[in-house]
Amino acid sequence: MSVITGHKGIGGQVRGIALVASDNFSTRYDLDRERGIFSRRSHKLFGENYVGRVLILNAAKGGVASAWMLREMVINEKAPLALLLNDANPVMAQGAAFAELPFMHRFETDITQAIQTGDTVLVDPQAGRVTVE
Amino acid sequence: MRLTEIEEAMQAGVLGKGAEWAIAYQKRVGEFFEAENFAEIRFAHMITDAETLGASGLAFLEEMAEMPAEDRRLRTLAIVDSRGFDDRAFERLLPGKPLVGDTQRAIDALGRMGAMKAHGYFNNHSVPLPAFGESCAFSGTPTVVYANAMVGVRCNFEAGPSAIAAMLTGRVPRYGFHLDVSRRGTDYFKLEGKPSNTADWGAVGAIIGRQLASYWKVPVIDGIAERPDAISLNHLALCLASYGSHAMFHVVGVTPEARDAQDAFGDPPPEPTVVTQADIDAFHREYDGDGETLDVVALGAPQLTMPEVYTVAETLAGRPVHDRTTLLVYTPLEIKEACQRTGIAQQIEDAGGLLVHGPDFFATFAKEIRETKGWTRLMTQSVKTANITEGYGYQPVAASLADCIESAVAGRIVRTA
Repeated sequence: MSVITGHKGIGGQVRGIALVASDNFSTRYDLDRERGIFSRRSHKLFGENYVGRVLILNAAKGGVASAWMLREMVINEKAPLALLLNDANPVMAQGAAFAELPFMHRFETDITQAIQTGDTVLVDPQAGRVTVE
Repeated sequence: MRLTEIEEAMQAGVLGKGAEWAIAYQKRVGEFFEAENFAEIRFAHMITDAETLGASGLAFLEEMAEMPAEDRRLRTLAIVDSRGFDDRAFERLLPGKPLVGDTQRAIDALGRMGAMKAHGYFNNHSVPLPAFGESCAFSGTPTVVYANAMVGVRCNFEAGPSAIAAMLTGRVPRYGFHLDVSRRGTDYFKLEGKPSNTADWGAVGAIIGRQLASYWKVPVIDGIAERPDAISLNHLALCLASYGSHAMFHVVGVTPEARDAQDAFGDPPPEPTVVTQADIDAFHREYDGDGETLDVVALGAPQLTMPEVYTVAETLAGRPVHDRTTLLVYTPLEIKEACQRTGIAQQIEDAGGLLVHGPDFFATFAKEIRETKGWTRLMTQSVKTANITEGYGYQPVAASLADCIESAVAGRIVRTA
């Protein structure tokens, strides 16, 4: 078991299975939000189902669309369980705050290297802590 | 965050339910980014389209518009981009599908709340231009990056719900590009390549954006051989936003906070990274499709200015668009109507092109259109359009406006240069 600290985040505590890549992330550019899979061919997670996973990627990219889309994904049950990024942008934080989706960024280490796909992780945004179980 | 008296009143619910929701929401975001207080804004501007909003976003807006007036009072000049929806064009693109309603419903809901319905962005000067140093709340990323870098306005990306919260409170959390320290350059680029069209400038933005890929990094571009025009800078800006999530940049000798490199950094500049012509050419080759048959030419992102629409007509020069290719020219409604008055619209339509107003191609059912029409090969003068449509299953190519038109006429991808 290892503990990774980050900045205080948004949302409540969740436990789930990690889906990890070192790529960046946009809800508009990278996802088929109806099927719940990564649809961008050049993305390392192309074809992967992200629904209910603790999604771990490098940086938020792209524009305003994510702010509405994250909440829509949560309501339609096509959302990840939580989102962890090395580097958030305002839109992703605004989207997570609107969706009440657990969200953290700025960790003590590169979060995409510290956690592997398939790991079980406990995400505690208010404590600023991720535990790999 | 430190709150003023009026902000405390909003938080306590004294100034209505809308402001109470908005200030609490803004505080969550502000505290996430360690904002110390709020910045009052000159105005808030929001774009909206049905695809981005989704059903839940639309329901949120309509519920807010239904609240009693004192609960949803706006506390700043609020403008919503009401680009409308081109029913006639979509009757051709997606016949028989009911698409019109949702975007208009969202705009109507914001109108009932007291937002002014205007077309376009301030970067095409159809809504008021803020003054240097003023804080604003804009939901459109191209507007934010252009406002910060080109005009010296202070703003962060304030996406949909965030722009609405800013309308309700008249302020935004003061972090990011509201602060002098965040606006300084972080990374230095020397441009040895010679971009010659919008696709090249977009490629420069994409190359730098991909490399830095962080909202918080501020690229400084130096060494430009020839001063780019505002349209080219707009393509550079929106590709920095699209590929790198950037909201601020400097071009030395061009943008107002970069009279020289020292001015941009506030310190002596670091060692530069060189962007060569070979880098720009290599970027374009990633989307290579020379000679292949072409399904659609989508011109927009940003929507075309009136001089660009004229260029489309002049380049067509009366030649018809090839039968197997659809030419879509996206432009704001006012410009479309102006082009109808001057006869330019008719010239494009006589050639078989379609002048489309309303949100851009990528924001209006591009995926559904591809599936319905069986399209794959797309050509555009906008690298941003190429970037987004690739995610929707297209095989895009970005090239000069002239090459896009030549290709539309030939029915296959041609490059003249």
